[in-house]
Amino acid sequence: MIDTPRAPITVTPRIGMLAELVIKVTEAPWSLSRTDRDRAHRSGLSDDDILQAIALSSYFGHLNRVADAVAVPLDYAVQRMPPPTDPNVPALAPATVAVTGRPALELVRRPPTAAALTAWRTYMFDRDAPLTRRSRTVIARWVALWLGDGGISAPADLTVNPIDDALRELAELVTLAPWQLGDQSFTRLRGAGFDDAQLFDVVAVASSTGVFSRITVALGSLARSGA
Amino acid sequence: MGLTITGYAQATGELRDVYDRQRERALPPAYRPAHGGVPGIIEAHSLDPALIPMVFGASATLNSVGPLSWPERELINALTSRLNQCLY
Repeated sequence: MIDTPRAPITVTPRIGMLAELVIKVTEAPWSLSRTDRDRAHRSGLSDDDILQAIALSSYFGHLNRVADAVAVPLDYAVQRMPPPTDPNVPALAPATVAVTGRPALELVRRPPTAAALTAWRTYMFDRDAPLTRRSRTVIARWVALWLGDGGISAPADLTVNPIDDALRELAELVTLAPWQLGDQSFTRLRGAGFDDAQLFDVVAVASSTGVFSRITVALGSLARSGA
Repeated sequence: MGLTITGYAQATGELRDVYDRQRERALPPAYRPAHGGVPGIIEAHSLDPALIPMVFGASATLNSVGPLSWPERELINALTSRLNQCLY
């Protein structure tokens, strides 16, 4: 492929607003507000457009996290220098609020997506292996806390147990700094006897519940008055 | 030590069946990997074969239909990856 000079890119208000939504969903979903929804409407985005943008970006964050956790190789030869990614980028900040209350938009406006996420959530929680149900709940509660999901109970005295603390440590990396994931991220739990299937389950539970909480928080925040 | 990835060529049993069902899904040519297996992002889930239809079932409801256009969906995915410092 020939690398041609790039044509100037025109960013329409609609595209610019989509990008703004994605940035907030990815970095701080609790920071969205009613103002963002109003601005999105003025930029030509409908509620269904906003809902898809939030759900898709949240979903893609799962793929990023799993790709980072297992260090999956790219499928394609990269034709030009890839953009630099920086593992030293600091972790995202945890939520400063717990979002509760009736969401501005409901995921059931998109029935196939709502059904797929319900099936996914049931699969993540309704089994006893490789992780115990209790461990899954521990992880999900931490993730909800970091993302500002006030609909899920906060974790209680869970760092007393060293295994729970190691679960929290890995789940925190997956949730707030997936780009820092590396072989060393698994050392502590491996030392406690965790095998690959169990370690992947920690990643999968943290990342999956992150998708669910991120969508819930973003949709809930859109009902809140902005700063 | 990192986590194991079992690729299509090495997969047996349940994982192979899951991979084969994913390969049967309609996929735009642009997303079909040249190595002939399944996309690496599916293989990345190989430690939990039953999770694969859950995750990529959700993908079908978000990546294959609107109301957002295909370029808009790609923009969302690419920007999300960029913000997450992920090349995939």
